[in-house]
Amino acid sequence: MKKFITRVRSALSGLLVPSISIALTLIVASVIVLLLGKNPLEVFLGFLRGSGLVFKPRYAGGQGILTDFFSYLSILTPMIFASLGVMMGLRAGLFNIGVAGQMLLPGFLASVFVGYSDLPTYLAWPLVIIIGLVAGGAMGALIGFLKHRFNIHEVVTSIMLNYIISYVTAFFINTYFADPVTRNSRPVSEASRLLIPGQAGGVRFDLPVGLVVALLVIFVMRFLLDRTTVGFRINAVGLNKDCARYAGINVGNNVVLAMAMSGMLAGLAGITYYLGFANNMVPKELVSLGYDSIAVAVLGNVAPVGCLFASILVTIFQKGSVYMSSNVGVPKDIASVIIGILLMFSASGLYIEETLQRLKRTPRSKRGAKTDTDKAEEERV
Amino acid sequence: MTETIVELRNITKRFPGIVANDDVTLDIRKGEIFALLGENGAGKSTLMSILFGMYEPDEGQIFVRGEEVHLTSSKDAAALNIGMVHQHFKLVSNYTITENIVLGDEPLKHFGPLSWVDLKGASKKIRALSLEYGLEVNPDDKIEDLQVSTQQRVEILKMLYRDAEILIFDEPTSVLTPQEIEYLLDIMEELRRGGKTIILITHKLEEIKRVADRCAILLHGKLVGVYDVATTTTQRMANLMVGKELDTTLDKTEHGFGEVVLDVSDLTVYNEHKVKVVDNVSLRVRQGEILAIAGVSGNGQVDIADAIAGLQHISAGSISLKGEEISRLSIKERIARGISYIPEDRQKDGLVMDLTLRDNLAIKTFDREPFAKKGVLQPEAFEQQATDLIERYDIRSGQGSQTMTRSMSGGNQQKAIIAREVELDSDLLIFVQPTRGLDVGAIANIHQQILEQRDKGKAVLLVSLELDEVLALADTICVAFRGQILKTDSAKNLSKEEVGQYMMGVTQ
Ligand SMILES: Nc1ncnc2c1ncn2[C@@H]1O[C@H](COP(=O)(O)OP(=O)(O)OP(=O)(O)O)[C@@H](O)[C@H]1O
Ligand SMILES: [Mg+2]
Repeated sequence: MKKFITRVRSALSGLLVPSISIALTLIVASVIVLLLGKNPLEVFLGFLRGSGLVFKPRYAGGQGILTDFFSYLSILTPMIFASLGVMMGLRAGLFNIGVAGQMLLPGFLASVFVGYSDLPTYLAWPLVIIIGLVAGGAMGALIGFLKHRFNIHEVVTSIMLNYIISYVTAFFINTYFADPVTRNSRPVSEASRLLIPGQAGGVRFDLPVGLVVALLVIFVMRFLLDRTTVGFRINAVGLNKDCARYAGINVGNNVVLAMAMSGMLAGLAGITYYLGFANNMVPKELVSLGYDSIAVAVLGNVAPVGCLFASILVTIFQKGSVYMSSNVGVPKDIASVIIGILLMFSASGLYIEETLQRLKRTPRSKRGAKTDTDKAEEERV
Repeated sequence: MTETIVELRNITKRFPGIVANDDVTLDIRKGEIFALLGENGAGKSTLMSILFGMYEPDEGQIFVRGEEVHLTSSKDAAALNIGMVHQHFKLVSNYTITENIVLGDEPLKHFGPLSWVDLKGASKKIRALSLEYGLEVNPDDKIEDLQVSTQQRVEILKMLYRDAEILIFDEPTSVLTPQEIEYLLDIMEELRRGGKTIILITHKLEEIKRVADRCAILLHGKLVGVYDVATTTTQRMANLMVGKELDTTLDKTEHGFGEVVLDVSDLTVYNEHKVKVVDNVSLRVRQGEILAIAGVSGNGQVDIADAIAGLQHISAGSISLKGEEISRLSIKERIARGISYIPEDRQKDGLVMDLTLRDNLAIKTFDREPFAKKGVLQPEAFEQQATDLIERYDIRSGQGSQTMTRSMSGGNQQKAIIAREVELDSDLLIFVQPTRGLDVGAIANIHQQILEQRDKGKAVLLVSLELDEVLALADTICVAFRGQILKTDSAKNLSKEEVGQYMMGVTQ
């Protein structure tokens, strides 16, 4: 797994291979849409319109492209944090598959303690962020600790924790915090939500505060991983535990540290989701964003800036799917299918790279035949 | 007998920054043992990987049994009955021997539409092959429980299982003990008698002398020539290989020893399987002294070294460095107190293969000045050290300090570790198998460096399986046998035969 990630990373490190992965994804997605009897161009346009990147033909009163665009940004924010969380785990050689749970617990705690209080914004925001960091960080650290101390695989612990958290929070929501009408949790106070409402030319929108933090965090993470001793240790541990130990690096501490950071980032994703993009929780539901972030982190080459770009792309599908499906008539689950295909092609980065090299070497006369078989092979996957 | 089976014509292979093979033309005859000799990084592994279909050449042609072939994967090579044992084995460690051998070419049994892997049948065939060639293994053992030499036998069986006729061995002897080497060379001769063609890459000239018929020499990717082994002296081969007159004489001056640097007493170590691997060992190394632990592989030598470095937990005894008890200290603290350690397994412990050479050279010092200031790395300092060490230790690679360590040749990886460890300027240097996989020129160079460290007043603990190395360098020799030190004496008082006897556990 670890070696695989490293190899895939080296393949994805340029721009060419990720672009090819994306292009292939769009091609395969188009084929699926065609099979459903719809026009792929309209589908893609639908995604872009739903994300506020292209004008819709009509807007409801008080809404405009900016409404959609800022709504897109407010779901982009947790996606960035979540993918950074996955990235952080992978850097230390751990597969944090439990981001969704590490989002839910901090989101729940922040809702209960801050969202349902009447604290003013200037107190609520810092508290929400602190709860996100602490609750997420604690969960991540626990997973890291169990892995290092008792050698319990992180995938197992994080999936179990996800179950525990989704059921426990569901219990509390259902018994204490349910909204009598929706049966979801009660909405949090506007003061605690990480959004600043705005208006321009009669169009309402919400500015996501978390996005600024997210952009900042990206550069902090980049600096941390590439330029500090902390990052050097984590990278070394992630790439070769034995050598790290031999070189005097405390493997256990660094695994726990990296997982704590991973959890903190997931926690930030949680609060910007549940007290930002959304304002309530659906009992027992773990958001799919938590799982999509794995694809995003891999497509983003397990690097901070890569995660930003991959998030921007994947969120278009996520956010735009509702509008697209109601206007074009393709079920909105196509978004998950596309993200799945994208993950598959980004994980095949190594194969794509090797194929490219082979094509480069193969003499022109044989090139036609080769490409065909390669295509056939790709179709089969 | 002189029928040509493989022909490489004008093979050129380039990697970023380096021409690994430069217009190489060779023909290999059916039924011969053909040796390939060259310095570290000369392009031997690359050339054979091309023949094995792992790399495609940029230019040139390959003919097998007279027909031109285009190999795009090792499967293609296997179809032409070509097999290869790699420098670093490629086995799945939690699979059994049988599973490993059939992997990728599983024999299927059918029952209607169902089919499954016929492991029983495979296991039987493997047993038969292992009897035929004297390659003793138990097909049901798991790889992780096997010694290196047995793993190698598995690799050989894997080739034979696939009916390989052309067998490529990439430095098979660098991981073996002298006894095991003898045995392997016998097996190769046996295979030759069985009509197989063998290509052998090795740095050990005596091995070439002993088994090979002809020997090709590569220098900086170019073919120097192909020589008849019977009529070429080892000295001549060595000279051709480095492209100049090679001087391997060591100037070892006698001088007294200083204070005690390392004092190990009554050390006992159990390994992870709760087996006592070090049994009540005491030894002392003084400034300016090279103390060598001789012994057959697996007699606790490496565990002693690991325990001193802090990689192994000790259950009794004490270890003191310059008078300070260090057995409770962390690995990091021990490094800081002055211990350098060249570990046995360079790819597992010694290097992070997916970091650059530059980062690997600083992997023990990255958090000290000048490499880091207040926790922030200083790339210029990394770069400066790397450039300096690459130059002084002659570490060859395609892209200098930025080379990914994984792409470096085996010998150059080893040189990188030695450079890093010597550069720590520690009072105690522990060398485990320091010259494994190095070419003769590089070996002479490393030996000279070890002596220099000694002359600078460092204490050197050398663990080596090669008796010649021990005898050439050591001031004091300890012989390890079953976790104990059977004999400790000044090197002057011991003959090669005597050390050999103690190594077998004979105590007169
Ligand atoms: N995959 C690769 N990518 C980049 N450079 C490579 C790669 N493989 C080998 N090289 C470079 O090609 C050169 C020849 O390497 P090769 O492994 O063939 O040497 P070798 O003769 O087998 O040496 P050794 O005796 O040390 O094993 C080296 O300089 C090495 O750094
Ligand atoms: Mg080699």
